[in-house]
Amino acid sequence: MQFNQHRSAFVMLGPATALLGVFIIVPMLLTVGLSFTKWSTQTGFDTAQFIGIQNFIDIFGNTSIGRDFKAALINTGLYTFASVVVLLPLSVLLGLLVHQTLAPGGVFLRTVLFSTYMVPMIAVALVFSKLYSPTEGPLNQILGWAGIPPQTWLSAPQTALGSIVILNVWQQVGYFTVLAVAGLTQIPASLYEAAKIDGASAVQRFFSVTLPLLGNTLLFSAVIAIINAVQVFEPVALITQGGPVNATNVLTYHIRRVGIERGQGGLGSAMAVTLMLALVIAIAALFAFARSREKSA
Amino acid sequence: MSTAAADLRPLERPRYRLTPATTLLTLAIIVAAVVAAFPLAWMILTSLKTPQETMQVPPVWLPGSPNLDAYTQVADVVELGRSFLNSAIIALVTTTAIIVTSLMAGYAFAKYRFRHRELLFAALIATMFLPPIVTLIPLYRITGYLGLNGSLAGVLVPNLANAFGIFLMRQFIKDVPDELIEAARVDGASELRILFQIVAPAVAPAIAALTLFAFVYHWNSYLWPLTVLQGNSDAYPIVISLSRLLSYNRGAMNTGLVMAGATLAVLPPVLLFVILQRFFVDSIVSSGVKG
Repeated sequence: MQFNQHRSAFVMLGPATALLGVFIIVPMLLTVGLSFTKWSTQTGFDTAQFIGIQNFIDIFGNTSIGRDFKAALINTGLYTFASVVVLLPLSVLLGLLVHQTLAPGGVFLRTVLFSTYMVPMIAVALVFSKLYSPTEGPLNQILGWAGIPPQTWLSAPQTALGSIVILNVWQQVGYFTVLAVAGLTQIPASLYEAAKIDGASAVQRFFSVTLPLLGNTLLFSAVIAIINAVQVFEPVALITQGGPVNATNVLTYHIRRVGIERGQGGLGSAMAVTLMLALVIAIAALFAFARSREKSA
Repeated sequence: MSTAAADLRPLERPRYRLTPATTLLTLAIIVAAVVAAFPLAWMILTSLKTPQETMQVPPVWLPGSPNLDAYTQVADVVELGRSFLNSAIIALVTTTAIIVTSLMAGYAFAKYRFRHRELLFAALIATMFLPPIVTLIPLYRITGYLGLNGSLAGVLVPNLANAFGIFLMRQFIKDVPDELIEAARVDGASELRILFQIVAPAVAPAIAALTLFAFVYHWNSYLWPLTVLQGNSDAYPIVISLSRLLSYNRGAMNTGLVMAGATLAVLPPVLLFVILQRFFVDSIVSSGVKG
């Protein structure tokens, strides 16, 4: 029997294409379309009324809709920036510890770090809400031993978002460490030998050999870290509900509250589209930055 | 792929010499491991304390007389068995379906030539980078049209295929020799039979990695189940029941109970990781480096 490649391709690709199409690609296009409409999530798509860019005017306006959304956008930006800025250097540092062969325990450290990545975010949020407890929590106790005054952690607007960044870094750093180790193994040992012969110290070798050659790994890590960071939801939904005083109101939480809980589907969609655009801009800027660094180097 | 994996571990056990650098590195590794493990250790220790111990100021670190009371009580507060079953159904059904759909699509992308192949592949893979919140609102309406809202099926059905799985399978199936597949075709084997009896066993490590990835992702998933289940507590997975434990805890102040629930919820994904971690690390390396 002659093997019919086109029919086989159709059969093989059918299930995955149909599922991803119906449940991701079509909803994404609908989000874009609905962002230009007034639509209640509780009713059918046919009830959506076209209102042009009114939703976008509203979410960037000076009413409470606009103020809440802009606060959530800024919070998400700050949270994402802080997460990336902490995660990347930390993952390289821990990657070096896992990768080195002078001292034992590298693979063990990798296992410990990576297992935190397996823990459900809900459980992470629950545990950290107790660790952060100002009186009964061990973190302020430990700070006290070092003579540092107790912190407010999740209970004050100034420290709440940062506390969630710490929790996020703790959960995710193992994943980025594994990526960093993968990048480190790609660097030829001969380059280190050559630098050593030239009399470069360990620190000089790190900055002249390791860091430049980790460029692609770090770019990939940064993209994934950004995409992960905008998805923060569980700690906010579970512990802070966006507070205190909107300090932890982030986009995933805010969009769900508007679009699902309040049923303002059109408005929520406009926020989701804005998030998507912000993400594209951030990642494009990252690539532009990486390219300019490459040229100047 | 296999070379990258081998590079992660030294081929022979190196002998360590006691130098200042080695001592310093060992200390750094110990500190990093302790900091990383501390929250989970605290969780387990607190689950073994008495309710009085969990409320002491300053906090006590070790339970005076470790006991499992919190574990027996937590089942009275939330329907723990039911939630575990729901989570198991969600994780097992989605994982099985993802493996099948990813193998099929990955095979077609790796071994067939057809028009617009690269375009279709790019379109499907792009969905991997889309945060779920971007599609959440219309998706909720679509599952509503399909009559799935409020049911376990609503959690499952939109998650039966996965872009990362397709990507991973294509990467690995590419390396399966064409001669193997051609020989089976000459023998008259159907394409599905070739895929599941010849190609699938050849990419077993990738399937192991995808199993872990999909199982952990869907066991831990919170945003979509919370949205689609519409408060139907009979269908709650363990992570939603856990979140309700906290609101219960606000009144009763029994932190031990919450930590016992969290410990139980953490066990399946972490245990699966310990068993399959080698494959998972390899697959991340290949998706990052080869990607």
